[in-house]
Amino acid sequence: MEEPILKIKDLYYGYGNGAPALDGVSVNIHAGEKIAVIGSNGAGKSTFFLNANGVLKPDHGEISYRGIPITKKNLKELRKNIGIVFQDADNQIVASTVMAEVGFGPMNLKLPKEEVLQRVDEALTYMNILEFKDRAPHYLSGGEKKRVSIADIIAMKSDVIIFDEPTAALDPVNAEMLEDVLAKLGSEGKTILISTHDVDFAYRWAERAIVFCQGKIIADGTPLEIFQNEKVLKLANLKRPMMLDVYDLLVENKLLRDEKIYPKSIEAFKEMLEIINNF
Amino acid sequence: MENIIKSYLDEMISSKVPQEVHMHSNAIKPHHHHKIDHKHGEGSSIDFYAYNSKIRHWNPTFKVLLSVLTLLLCIVLNNHYVSVAVIIAMTYLTVVKGGLPLRAYISVLMIPITFILLGTVTIGIDFSSEPIGQYNLNLGFCYVFTSQAKLWAMAFLILKVFGAISAMEMMALSTPSSEIIGVLRKAHVPKLIVELMYIIYRYIFILMDVHTKMKNAAESRLGFCDFKTSCSTFGNIASNMLIVSLKKATAYYQAMEARGYDGDLVFLEQTGSVKVSQLVFTTGFLAGLILLWYLTN
Repeated sequence: MEEPILKIKDLYYGYGNGAPALDGVSVNIHAGEKIAVIGSNGAGKSTFFLNANGVLKPDHGEISYRGIPITKKNLKELRKNIGIVFQDADNQIVASTVMAEVGFGPMNLKLPKEEVLQRVDEALTYMNILEFKDRAPHYLSGGEKKRVSIADIIAMKSDVIIFDEPTAALDPVNAEMLEDVLAKLGSEGKTILISTHDVDFAYRWAERAIVFCQGKIIADGTPLEIFQNEKVLKLANLKRPMMLDVYDLLVENKLLRDEKIYPKSIEAFKEMLEIINNF
Repeated sequence: MENIIKSYLDEMISSKVPQEVHMHSNAIKPHHHHKIDHKHGEGSSIDFYAYNSKIRHWNPTFKVLLSVLTLLLCIVLNNHYVSVAVIIAMTYLTVVKGGLPLRAYISVLMIPITFILLGTVTIGIDFSSEPIGQYNLNLGFCYVFTSQAKLWAMAFLILKVFGAISAMEMMALSTPSSEIIGVLRKAHVPKLIVELMYIIYRYIFILMDVHTKMKNAAESRLGFCDFKTSCSTFGNIASNMLIVSLKKATAYYQAMEARGYDGDLVFLEQTGSVKVSQLVFTTGFLAGLILLWYLTN
């Protein structure tokens, strides 16, 4: 088996107020995976992300990026290759123009100015917000700020991109935009981790799901496996995705033969119905 | 069918404006000359105008230098013809070249004008117990007196200060603060001060946002129903904002670190170069001011 892009072993982290936020987390992440990180509020997802990016220093535990253990010296390597899109765009945007904001990461990478400018243009074009270039972030709307905060990370060209609850504050149109961007990033071979409370989204999008509960990983597998595991769902305060419920109800009521196809979206459901009707 | 929907939509959009008037009118007297200000207060409407100025793309260093040199000449030459020329030129730059509505320009200038008038009146008039001076007015217990020379001095002072202010406003209304701070960095102002300015500028808006949200939340729960409650609500909001600020500071620092911040706050800047014609005009203008001074002295 190939070397995981990010290997995390026995990670412990406490904020110093009693119970540890991360209590022995070990996980291997492979290049190109699409991972949904789920779990209730305060389960340790955000802490895990900040540790994985090197912002928080674990109490003990080991993080390796492409086989190289991360120490104080090569911490920068970790931050360069793992980007986080924070939940609240207003907590991420530091600069006073969109151009300076998107250029902040590349400038910190000490790239030459021409390259930074080129990356800023690329990232803004990618997010379809090139016309915002000279605008001030405080005159943008919530959805626009979110796009800027994603462009921030795209400009850094990280291999691994972490989204911390990206759908939380978005309207349906912007949420759709986000899914398009995710699909595009996925097709470029980026490794994507998303924390979310939206089980339907996790079920539809992810190839792998990691469930956090009280600082521990209690389940790791395909979304289908995890959402069929009642015990895990109960422990992690999760609900089953609607598509799964509908499928099971149809099977239960003998309206559908159990072919174990498990459609993940309305489109896939339609296709499945057509196949069955053609029989 | 489509047409009906379209006209309905149009109506909805156009009815938005009067709705806003209605919303505001019970809180403050409506003054709806232009849509943009009175939402954030005067300070940030200057910021808004600066971002929308048509001469924003001019090189900021050029604009700052032009403004500072004009201001210095206006003060040093101490000549009312120069002052008038500066006022006209700067208004031309801001209103005609910058595309700022005249009304907005005057409303921005109203604050300094108030201060100028209040400040110079004390120079123009004086009090005495005796009826002295060229003109005097008996107030019963004392006399207010003045003279033509004093009134002229007052008028010239007003012109001079007004000229200096219009030069500053030309810069403020065409250059966003972040670009002015960039110019300060180039002028080798200490790094600590420049970085502080930059961060403070960005966070003023966030602080205002948070404050508005808290105030609205308190308002919706009758937090400002009488004077006593208002005072305690104000105190609560203030202390809460301190805590929120500290929390936000941590969140920002983490977000900055996540993008490789390592102690040096360097932002990307892309500024247009100065055109030869701009340089020629500026030199001509400044030389013209000196010539005007020389001819009228």
